[in-house]
Amino acid sequence: MHAEHPHDPAEEPDTVLGLQVAFSAVAGCVVTVVWVLTGSAEFWAGWAWLGLVALLAVHVLVRYAVRAPAGGRRDYRVALGALAIVAAIQPVVWLLGGQGPFWPAWPLLAIAAIAATLAAIVHRRRLPWVRAQAALEARVDVLTRTRSGALDVQAQQLRRIERDLHDGAQVRLVALAMRLGRAEARLDDAGDPVTRDLVRGAREEATAAIAELRDLARGIAPPVLADRGLAAAAEALGRRSGSPVTVSARLDDRPAPVVESAAYFVVAEALANAAKHVPGAPVSVALTTAEHRLIVEVLDEGGGGADASGSGLTGLRHRVEALDGTLVVRDVPATGTLVRAELPCVP
Amino acid sequence: MRAVIVEDHALLREGLISLLREHDVEVVAHAEDAEGLLRIVRGHQPDLAIVDVRLPPTFTDEGVRAAIAARAEHPTLAVLVLSAYVEPVYTAELLASGGGGGVGYLLKERVGDVRAFMDAVRRVADGGTALDREVVAELVRDHGRGNSALDGLTPREREVLELMAEGRTNAGIAEALVVTGGAVEKHVTSIFAKLGLPASQGDHRRVLAVLAYLRAVG
Repeated sequence: MHAEHPHDPAEEPDTVLGLQVAFSAVAGCVVTVVWVLTGSAEFWAGWAWLGLVALLAVHVLVRYAVRAPAGGRRDYRVALGALAIVAAIQPVVWLLGGQGPFWPAWPLLAIAAIAATLAAIVHRRRLPWVRAQAALEARVDVLTRTRSGALDVQAQQLRRIERDLHDGAQVRLVALAMRLGRAEARLDDAGDPVTRDLVRGAREEATAAIAELRDLARGIAPPVLADRGLAAAAEALGRRSGSPVTVSARLDDRPAPVVESAAYFVVAEALANAAKHVPGAPVSVALTTAEHRLIVEVLDEGGGGADASGSGLTGLRHRVEALDGTLVVRDVPATGTLVRAELPCVP
Repeated sequence: MRAVIVEDHALLREGLISLLREHDVEVVAHAEDAEGLLRIVRGHQPDLAIVDVRLPPTFTDEGVRAAIAARAEHPTLAVLVLSAYVEPVYTAELLASGGGGGVGYLLKERVGDVRAFMDAVRRVADGGTALDREVVAELVRDHGRGNSALDGLTPREREVLELMAEGRTNAGIAEALVVTGGAVEKHVTSIFAKLGLPASQGDHRRVLAVLAYLRAVG
């Protein structure tokens, strides 16, 4: 009952404590009277009082420990209370035990040291240097969250732009090419050849514009990546690259679009590099997820010696690091160059 | 010929309908999403379905999926898929689906070249194949690397191989390359001999043989 209503005085019939106080008072008085009647010089009744008061203090402390809500703060207060009781007993024992040199100074010093250590541990967050550290950690948390949020928004916007290109300009250009084609077909049958050639030229221009727009859209957000995911997109890249490429993928869930895009461009750049520097050498691409990390490895069999500071790789590194990932380019003995990116993906 | 069109952009849909009508193709129904395709195919039993790859609601590849589903339900249905971009993955999925019906997979802008487009439409409706030259070029480029048999082809034979893989007939190839039909036949025979393929009967089977070869040697 007490545990449920610790602060309700009506619910706290302190009869046990009251009885103990009454008993202690009566017992103490009786002992004192006996001491007075026996006319003893030494105040031995003080020991009885010490015992009674110490018991009362322990009772009060236990009572508090039972009623207060459980937690570190209560444990800390109970510990301090116990230390205070032990500390208070020392000088009393010294007084009753015939004084002499003040030996309780040593136990009191030890108790004070313990209390100070406890206080420092419990209130460590208020220590100035720890406070600065905590503020820094909180800031890093906020920055990490807002940055990944911003990058997510950016990736989504890029996919939207790609879609808008597809639904807007591309559709109009296709419709235009179709109309020009129909006009051309009519002119084929009966019409002025010069006009027909003009119309054909216009139709071919429109077709070229569509092709350019497609390449642009693919560079922004490759459709196959959005449609089929990273493994399929990596395979498509492998087919387009100038080298024989094998792709192995062990992916659990689809990572966030921003992570997926970064991984895609790592594969694209690494394959382009391999095709440029060691044309025709076989390349293997491995995509795995482990412990909330997406690992992209592109290894060519070109003998190694790639320049890790090339502009393409530097751009990639920035892209990966913006996501809190790492990009490593190194030689694998007897094989070739390995490009390895690790990207954290929050589930 | 009775055709249905599934295209969510009204501008393209209306344009396609006009274009097909001008060339004596009857457009019996049209729809705007993947579910619509199955509905109108069931309702109208057309010879040919022309389908956009990206359709509502997700605007990814439901056109391809719907085309494959429709072919599973109606094996003789010819399907021509139009797309803003080509993916060899989708080509393989489309070719592997269905029964005797023709298959086409073309970039959208090919509709501008009316004669070639209508040629592809008729070829597909007749049970043939029409693959975009971008897909074919990718397949040949990819699988041609380090392949001695493909390397052994003359540049002319390589052109003929690509046109064959697009699904063109000998007459179509002759027209595209401005040579005689006899010259094309000679090239084809030589290509099949060099690749070690049995001479196939029928244009569609020939396409499949060439594509299977290109995929197998990858």
